[in-house]
Amino acid sequence: MFDKLSENNEERNSLQIMAKNLNTVFMISTMDNEYIIKIIQGLVSEVKIGPFVMPSYEFKLTASKDEWNKFLKAIPIPGSHDLIALLRRKVLKIDGNLHPLMSHLLYFKLLLASLRPTEES
Amino acid sequence: MKIKMEPIIGHYGNFDIDGINHRIYWEEAGEGIPLVCLHTAGSDGRQYRALLNDKKILKNFRVIVYDMPWHGKSSPPQGSKVGHYQLSTKSYVSQILSFIDGLELIKPVVMGCSIGGRVILHLASDHKEKFRALIGLQSAGHLDPYYDIDWLHRQDVHGGEICGAIAYGLMAPTSPKEERFETMWHYMQGGPGIFKGDLFFYKFDGDIGDKVKQIDNSKCPIYLLTGEYDYSATPEETKILADNIGVDMVKMKNVGHFPMSENPKEFLKYLYPVLNKII
Repeated sequence: MFDKLSENNEERNSLQIMAKNLNTVFMISTMDNEYIIKIIQGLVSEVKIGPFVMPSYEFKLTASKDEWNKFLKAIPIPGSHDLIALLRRKVLKIDGNLHPLMSHLLYFKLLLASLRPTEES
Repeated sequence: MKIKMEPIIGHYGNFDIDGINHRIYWEEAGEGIPLVCLHTAGSDGRQYRALLNDKKILKNFRVIVYDMPWHGKSSPPQGSKVGHYQLSTKSYVSQILSFIDGLELIKPVVMGCSIGGRVILHLASDHKEKFRALIGLQSAGHLDPYYDIDWLHRQDVHGGEICGAIAYGLMAPTSPKEERFETMWHYMQGGPGIFKGDLFFYKFDGDIGDKVKQIDNSKCPIYLLTGEYDYSATPEETKILADNIGVDMVKMKNVGHFPMSENPKEFLKYLYPVLNKII
């Protein structure tokens, strides 16, 4: 699911300009699986797929696989179209040091949205 | 290339709000019934650019959109300090009434979105005799905080970036990209702490509570329209409000929290029938 973030993608790469000072490691949990995503200077440099024994990361986004699947639809339904929409419905939990996320919130929203299928794909 | 002029005229004016002089900017276009439009928290009157350019509406309505104090081209009042702005119900209602009285508008229609959609409930409750009709976009009587709004004003987070990111998510993915970008851009241009200061009204002070029972739709018609992609004031929240007042609500497809700005073409389809009832 989120392992595709490490694939070369023009739209995703274009986001770097919004986060060129960002270096962080964060986790996405689908409850049945975990992904650790490393970002260096605004580019995804590595995605590791769990399970992990002693994972180290700055912040974590946790939602069920079903909720992430709805979020990643080409045109998500209302309430599934944005990270904060998931938070509002209490189906997403965000914890850890939130500064990297909140200081680059649009970047992270667009980074995850870049996994949505486009007309070309 | 010759400049294609828009019919919008901008003005600056000075008047007192709660005994304090303010320099306020507003734009207007059209002739007829005054239609005063209230922008959302942390943004400004540019959100109504489509209405101010819509020939059909301008034929029957004098559309007037002011920037709230501290927003857009309106100045903060003299003696203001950064970080001290907080919108209260009393000050919000006062600024609207002072603007309307200052322009000598007789029985205007007021349409507000989000915080504007909330304040029209206070106008309906306490000042219904002053209005021909009230239109609430994205209206809800109450909102529980669902994210920590302190992130909107921190010296280690760029205010424009975070406010823009919050606004971006409130729009429908189906709204045109260009309009979504412009709507977000308005948020990116807000002053430090202003969006957060407006949300004090939206999330705390402006809760309509039991005052909703004082709203009498027969004295001043109320129309409620809410975009389906809004997760702040959801259609479900508007429905609860509408049931409490005893009016219908319209759920607008393919729009989110900023209908007039993020997808004006779609929004106008819903607004025309409301305005036709008011004429």
